[in-house]
Amino acid sequence: MLPQSISSRASNRSRRDPTAPLRHLDPVLLGCVVILSIVGLVAVYSATRGPGPDFSKSYLVKQTIFMVIGAGAFGVFAAVDYRKLHDWAWVFYGITTFLLVLVVSPFGSQSHGAQSWFALGPFQLQPAEFSKLSLIGALAFLLSEFRGDIDLRRLVGLLATAGLPMALIMLQPDLGETLILVAISMAILLVGGLPTKYIAVLTIVGVIGVVGALNSPLLAEYQRNRLTAFVNPDDKSNAALYNIEQSQQAIANGRITGQGLFDGPQTKLGFVPEQQTDFIFTAVAEQFGFIGSATVLLLYGLLCYRIWRIAQVAKDSFGTYICIGVLAMFAFSAFENVGMAMGIMPVTGIPLLLISAGGSSTITALAALGLVLNVHMRRFQ
Amino acid sequence: MDTTSPRLRMSLLGVVVVACFVALFARLWYLQVMEAPALAVQATANRTRTIATEAPRGRIFDSKGRVIVDNRTSLIVSIDRNALKKVKNRDDLIARLADVLTANGAPIKISTIEKRLADKKADQLQAVPIASDVTEEVIHHLSEYAEDFPSVSYERKTVRVYPYGMAASNVLGYTGRITAETLKSLEPGSDPDGVVKTYQPDSIIGLAGVESTYEKELRGTPGIELVQVDSKNRPVGTESYQPPKSGNDIQLHLDIDVQIRAEQALADRLAVLRGTAQKDGTKRGAPAGSVVVLDPRDGGVVALASQPAYDPQEFANGISQERYLQLQNINGASALIDRSISGQYAPGSTFKLVTATAALSNGLIDGNSSIYDDGVYKVGNPAQEFKNAGDQKNGNINVVRALTVSSDVYFYWLGDRMDGTTLIQDSASAFGFDKKTGIDLPNESAGYVLTKAEKKALHNKYPDAYPNGDWYTGDNVQLAVGQNVVVATPLQIARAYAAFANGGTVYQPHVVWKILKPNSTPTNPNDVIRVIDPVVTGTVTLPPDVRGPIESGLEGVTSGMGTAASAFTGFDLTAFPVVGKTGTAQVDGKADTSLFASYGPANSPKWVVTAVMEESGFGAEASGEVSRHIYELLANQALTGAGSATTGTRD
Repeated sequence: MLPQSISSRASNRSRRDPTAPLRHLDPVLLGCVVILSIVGLVAVYSATRGPGPDFSKSYLVKQTIFMVIGAGAFGVFAAVDYRKLHDWAWVFYGITTFLLVLVVSPFGSQSHGAQSWFALGPFQLQPAEFSKLSLIGALAFLLSEFRGDIDLRRLVGLLATAGLPMALIMLQPDLGETLILVAISMAILLVGGLPTKYIAVLTIVGVIGVVGALNSPLLAEYQRNRLTAFVNPDDKSNAALYNIEQSQQAIANGRITGQGLFDGPQTKLGFVPEQQTDFIFTAVAEQFGFIGSATVLLLYGLLCYRIWRIAQVAKDSFGTYICIGVLAMFAFSAFENVGMAMGIMPVTGIPLLLISAGGSSTITALAALGLVLNVHMRRFQ
Repeated sequence: MDTTSPRLRMSLLGVVVVACFVALFARLWYLQVMEAPALAVQATANRTRTIATEAPRGRIFDSKGRVIVDNRTSLIVSIDRNALKKVKNRDDLIARLADVLTANGAPIKISTIEKRLADKKADQLQAVPIASDVTEEVIHHLSEYAEDFPSVSYERKTVRVYPYGMAASNVLGYTGRITAETLKSLEPGSDPDGVVKTYQPDSIIGLAGVESTYEKELRGTPGIELVQVDSKNRPVGTESYQPPKSGNDIQLHLDIDVQIRAEQALADRLAVLRGTAQKDGTKRGAPAGSVVVLDPRDGGVVALASQPAYDPQEFANGISQERYLQLQNINGASALIDRSISGQYAPGSTFKLVTATAALSNGLIDGNSSIYDDGVYKVGNPAQEFKNAGDQKNGNINVVRALTVSSDVYFYWLGDRMDGTTLIQDSASAFGFDKKTGIDLPNESAGYVLTKAEKKALHNKYPDAYPNGDWYTGDNVQLAVGQNVVVATPLQIARAYAAFANGGTVYQPHVVWKILKPNSTPTNPNDVIRVIDPVVTGTVTLPPDVRGPIESGLEGVTSGMGTAASAFTGFDLTAFPVVGKTGTAQVDGKADTSLFASYGPANSPKWVVTAVMEESGFGAEASGEVSRHIYELLANQALTGAGSATTGTRD
């Protein structure tokens, strides 16, 4: 009787334990992720099915597979206690850094003038995407160890940790991904207690660096044109403007209520380049109008708010920093990607997370959100 | 305050993120709500292309309702040379195109394509036609593999067909691609009639003859298709379509039988005479000539022949520069000039109609006034001698006989007597010389009949070309026989004789008779949009005492002692009396211009026939012969009733 009673009590306890992780799922976050992922699948299909009558489903099928794999990653990264991951942060960082070195070696493959991926049969693996998450882990680890006590030596260590993957990605070169890493690093360093004077210095150095890079031979002419096109929208000699013009026309064409699913002529006829990835927002905006695209932006905003909220309620600073990193990753990606499509940000190819087609970015995004949920679920343990 | 507090830092981060999202919402609202209408216009222009389909041009009928200009559809493959410059493997593309054409029933060599591409005459801004009348298979292939054929385009065009071949080419004219300047001048709004029809850069336009003067009637309204294209400019659907509307048909006064006969007789006679010697031993070049057949009752143009001639079919699909140059030099003459309306010749003795009318109507002579013609007429002191052609002596003659035997001496005398007046010039003006007739064809010449004042003015203006500005009696003497100070177009001469034939009414010659509805049946009165009414431009007063003696004189020309008797030997003049006047105009260093102006039948004139042949000799032997051949057909039409038009309004 006793053993039974003990075991029964134990099981009872587990069922009633108010700190049990499964009791603290975040339904708002989950809802946003599910809806945005579905919107993404629809947008990718509409942008890639072609004018018909033989509609192509290859992108839809691939993206669905990525979503499924991503859902698995989400589950794993949510299930395993994030504090155990604390010890693994450097392993992830090491693996992705090694892959970043490997990708610029002859093992990597090129497209659009950047050597950024490995060919794995029909799929492409982009280590830069994964490095976002591993950098979040590494910086969160360091800052949680430093506990706000950051001297110059530690700062150099932090900057070196952040700078290594950035430098390797610039070798590909992929400016967009680098900028995301910058955003992530800045956000984590900010919240991680970097003294204000260092922040001021870093900001100044950053501004000088950007201006210098734009005027240096480091960037190819076409890159410079793409980056500055949004500043001079009437410069007809700038070929990069064509893309921005097309994408803005497509967005405008959505009007308030949108052209309707599969009825956006600019989308359907392929006027907007890279529409399943960099310019996916135009497909959403043309087909679903202001109502639809504003809803998508609101969902993004809500998602960011939840991540920010979780950062605040996290049980430890490691969890907070992870959430802040993921927040920066989502917010900056959305701002840069959507801003570029609407002509208020420079043209750099980065995905709109959860919506743009792409395996590495989708899986990384879902894994990152899994980690955030992880932090939320274990905030009382 | 602790500026490193995570709470504060997180709030700061939150503010930044919120600001970013606010910016995105603002921009989204701006694009989709505020700027959307303006951007939508751009977007529509971006994804649609307007494709104009040329409408079939109206057909052209002769006076008896026979189709003399028709249409058919031709499939044409063209290359845009500017686009071709940007093609990477240009030679591969051309070889591929040659293969496709050759494999699908339109054989062509690579070198031929290159030659067409190199043609400098073709408009640089427009696609060059590479092959016309290609098969449907070629079009299928090119549209299916459009991406393999950048810069190559194809189109379905209606092109002109000429069932009677080269006949009347000078009247009908030809069509061709509109030039950049013309297109610009035809931009909507510049047309005073407000009937501008959309011209596209590759539109076909009438470039000569009736095709040009009646462009507005003949040209239809192009079909406009708004095609949706994708980003690679491939058509994916139609947004709107307005089908092409054919142009109006037109019917001419022209009788294609008479036209063909006139051209044939003219060409044959020129060929016979070419290279032979005329009486004085000068070799006849006989390069060119023209015939005008008018209806004296309304000025309708029954035939207008000009030799050498061109085949309008050669222009239907675009003509090569080489061939174009060739046409400008056929036996030393250009085939592209309609001599019947642009050629200017000394009318020679045919002008005696004008001189005789001036003398008789001003009472200088009557029908019986006679002088002794010893072959020479002397003017002034020291005497300048003017001789009859061939030094012929005609003895005692009056104006009737002088016209029949073409005594120059009699008319030198008249010219001498009218010196110091403008009686001859006035008479010429009344008959319609010295100004354009106003025929509905382009490039008409005006000719001239100089007065004393005009000669002076010319000398002052061009002292090199006109070294002598004074008017001598000799000038008036020459004027009286249609030499030196007078030139006229064959059409002007014909019109003068038409006015004489009909009793004095000077009509504006007209080629076009009726404007008909598109796809009309010319015999159906309901299909007539409008009839071009005869236009009277002036009158010549011809009372019986003026007209009588001249008519008698001209009647004698085709028989007995008449200067054209030899040409009309064997012609049944009792059944169909022909009244006329020969002319032999001297040209320095060359054989004479042969002229014959005439009408028939004498009692109720239905046709005026005027022939003018360059470097061909005496009036009778060249132009008289040609006219006789035409009269044989006309007489046959008159006697069998075959000449009446189908609608019956001409008699």
